[in-house]
Amino acid sequence: MNKQIIYIAFLSNVIFATCSYAATPGQSRPDLTETMKDSIVYLETSAYGYSPSEPWKHESLSESWACACAVGDYEVVTSAESVVNLAFLKALRYGQNEFVGAKIKVVDYEANLCLIRLDPNELSKPLKPLTFAEDYQKGAAVDFYWLSSDSHLYNGRGYLDRASVEPTRTSHGQRLRYVAGNTSQRTARGEVYCVGSAPIGIACWSNRENEAGLIPAEMINRFLKAVTEDSYKGFGEVGFVISELLDPSMRSFLDMPASVKDGAYVTDVYNLGTGCDTLEKGDVILKIDGNSLDPHGRFMHPKYKWLSFDHLITSKTVGESVLFEVWRDGKRTEIRANIKNFKASEMLVPYHEFDQQPEYVVTAGFVLQRLTREYLMEFGDDLAGDTPSHLYHYYRDLAFKPTAERQDIVVLSYVLPAHINLGYAGLGQMVVRKFNGMTIRSIVDILRAQKLNPESKHDVIEFEMDSPVVVITREQLPAADTFIRKNYGIRTLSNVNP
Amino acid sequence: MRQQKWVFVAVLAVSVVCSSLSASRGTGLQHPEKSVVLIRSIKQDFDYVIPWKRKNMTRSMGSGLVIAGKRILTNAHNVSNCRYVELTKENVARRYPAGILFIGHDCDLSILTVDDESFFQDTLPLELTGIPKVNSTVSTYGFPVGGDRISVTEGVVSRIETDTYAHSGADKHLVIQTDAAINPGNSGGPVIQDGKIVGVAFQGLREAENIGYMIPTTVIRHFLTDIDDGKYDGFGSLGTIFYPGLHSTSYKDYLKVPPNEDGVVVIGTVMHASVESILQSDDVMTRIDEYNIDNDGMVEIYGLRLSISEAVESKQIGETAQLTFYRRGKLMRGIATIAPNRPVFERTLQYDRPPPYVCFAGLVFTPATRNFLETWGPRWLREIPFYLRYLFTHSVQLNTDRQRREYVVLSGIMPDEVNSYAQEFKNHVVESIDGIKIHGLDDVHNVFKQTTSRFFTIKFMGNNRILPIDAKAARLRHQPILEKYHIPAEAHLETVP
Repeated sequence: MNKQIIYIAFLSNVIFATCSYAATPGQSRPDLTETMKDSIVYLETSAYGYSPSEPWKHESLSESWACACAVGDYEVVTSAESVVNLAFLKALRYGQNEFVGAKIKVVDYEANLCLIRLDPNELSKPLKPLTFAEDYQKGAAVDFYWLSSDSHLYNGRGYLDRASVEPTRTSHGQRLRYVAGNTSQRTARGEVYCVGSAPIGIACWSNRENEAGLIPAEMINRFLKAVTEDSYKGFGEVGFVISELLDPSMRSFLDMPASVKDGAYVTDVYNLGTGCDTLEKGDVILKIDGNSLDPHGRFMHPKYKWLSFDHLITSKTVGESVLFEVWRDGKRTEIRANIKNFKASEMLVPYHEFDQQPEYVVTAGFVLQRLTREYLMEFGDDLAGDTPSHLYHYYRDLAFKPTAERQDIVVLSYVLPAHINLGYAGLGQMVVRKFNGMTIRSIVDILRAQKLNPESKHDVIEFEMDSPVVVITREQLPAADTFIRKNYGIRTLSNVNP
Repeated sequence: MRQQKWVFVAVLAVSVVCSSLSASRGTGLQHPEKSVVLIRSIKQDFDYVIPWKRKNMTRSMGSGLVIAGKRILTNAHNVSNCRYVELTKENVARRYPAGILFIGHDCDLSILTVDDESFFQDTLPLELTGIPKVNSTVSTYGFPVGGDRISVTEGVVSRIETDTYAHSGADKHLVIQTDAAINPGNSGGPVIQDGKIVGVAFQGLREAENIGYMIPTTVIRHFLTDIDDGKYDGFGSLGTIFYPGLHSTSYKDYLKVPPNEDGVVVIGTVMHASVESILQSDDVMTRIDEYNIDNDGMVEIYGLRLSISEAVESKQIGETAQLTFYRRGKLMRGIATIAPNRPVFERTLQYDRPPPYVCFAGLVFTPATRNFLETWGPRWLREIPFYLRYLFTHSVQLNTDRQRREYVVLSGIMPDEVNSYAQEFKNHVVESIDGIKIHGLDDVHNVFKQTTSRFFTIKFMGNNRILPIDAKAARLRHQPILEKYHIPAEAHLETVP
């Protein structure tokens, strides 16, 4: 009899616990405010980026804030987008009046994660590291916490709506995210989300529909594991593009038997990233690491259910490998590919130039710049509609296809009027083809080309698409450059990374 | 309030009287009712998405003027895409059905005729004169909104220069700007100085006050001369892309142009233009016929400093122009033939031409035209799919295929089981079908008729995906689709009505 009572009591506890996590949000949720006081810090950031249109000049100093979560005694993690173009960083912990010095240890804009080390000498006591739990309970009630600048620890609520692979704001790629719904507060600055007493992710976006995107525990833990290794290599990047393969005619055209229902069509293969050297246009990817891809390019994840195939590559670290099963030339083939990634700067048209001055050369008032996505964004947010179409073409079709012959697109963005460039003042947005006869592969070539043909009276710049030739009289150049530097307030006439 | 209104009306009345007196004394017409007519028309534009259909009918009103030869001159935009035209004379209680004899959409001019001879009784044909001087007074006649009778407004000539004609959206010719009020309904009416026509009112600026434009007599004369042979050929060009780069002494020195010479730098030629075999990039054109070209690309013509194009505008298609140019310091000459030299992606709006199309298995193909692009609405250039924008803005440079006549776009899909998966290819430009390059719409028609392969494999420009259509199923569904959607014919390849 006693045994039976004990058994019933235990059972009722389990049911109660389950309800408190999922079925009845808001009831008996643990309040972690006290716990989080030693684990969440407030970051104050000062960003001082460069102007894409006047790359020798900083943009206005902007100040912002973010939350970070302790993952070590003196280390915190937050989203990488919180530290873009960072000039200065300071932290505040609960109960300590003075700001604490902080420095970035590792930042990965592709993963949108950043590890920051606080100055141990300035912290009043070590932080209490949190461990992110990788459990995923769709529909579970979530609580989130953040520390304000006046040292108040706040919290809010929502529920865990879904897991999906989606574009990130700091890179070209797609990454796994949790999406919390019905959140009581907009969160996008590293606020710590918990299910029950376990942290499950940090906030990275929110929208007007009261949804919030979270960088999930799985991604954070892999990042933290990777940064403990000697050299941080980062995660995989996809090196190809797929499209849906729903059309039965297309399957028949590819000689796929009716029994093969899966697979997504490879429409393009980049020159960078995983699969770039192994996959071919026209392949049909049937499986990745044994996971069947449906015609939409999704696979059934044991925990998250249907996810985009990207996750199978972007969740692996560089140095690992991946096994593709593809339909090629009318038969199944297995191909092993190394997990690769690449920096934005390796792209033909870089997605971003965070934390660095844009590359440029000013000669005789002609402003030559590397074409980047940030440069194009100067025309408007709708790149396809707002930007000059011949420039957008490079971004849309060739951004991931640098070659030995062409590593950058160099653009004459505009002309700073001066006597030496009289008659050329209206030129702009022209793609440089040659400089002094040398085919321009990257912006660093401009500096090399300026030294060519020493006997010539002129520097000659040729452009694509029926454009006039720019001719600069070399004899006048030193005086003109001095004038331009002084008149337009340009400290250095070039910034080129070797 | 009531008093203010009266005062305003009184002032207006005085103003009209003064203007009328001044017109009859100096710049205007003694009897405008004998020369200026009201044009009413019923229009029905074409549908460039469902090309076998036309849009709803609309009514429009404009003005016209009687010229010699029992002809009525008006704007093309008054009678374009027209189902019916009728004319009314002031003080005559009768309406006269009219016909369109000639229409020039590139210069926004048209010639109408009336079969009923009685129309021309008591009419007074107007004569053309030259280009009025800037700051001289002109009078505009017509039937603008706000009343039923002939209106006359007076103003001065403000500016004379080359500008875009809004009707075609891209053609540029000489225009004369005036501050005489030109309002809707004035279009096609005469602008008069000393009793003679100095222009035909045709467009204004919405965002500005008192800026109206007239078509000068140089353009009208070109149009009238053109139709002398019974057909209208339009304005031509040299087919050359210039850059006014010689302000740079370095550029001039590099191109070996003598210091005392002015001119413009050739940076490209239009494919198939006669100048392709005459001019090269980096040539410097210094003279066209008897006109010296300055460093801004202007010539002295009609006593004015106007764009170099004005030296070509005066010529008819097929006529020639002598070009003088420097190539690497050597003085050269060549004879260029004036031709339409249209870009492969036509930049002008088209009228009075039912849009050609091919419909196969519910896939509707049409030539990529400005009209098609404008179906995206007022912000069409921003809203259209990127690749169409890219081709539209750069077709002269991007097209290297000398056989290409036009770009063909998959403009619509009439839904059916055979084309269920084609939707994502809508508005994409066709590159090839079954490996056969598509140079024009007739190629599409032919390839669907001739190919015997198992699939019609359609490739699109700027898109790595291909669209395979099961040929057997497509042939089977082709006719039922035409019937289901009441498509009158599988193709309309005629481009002239």
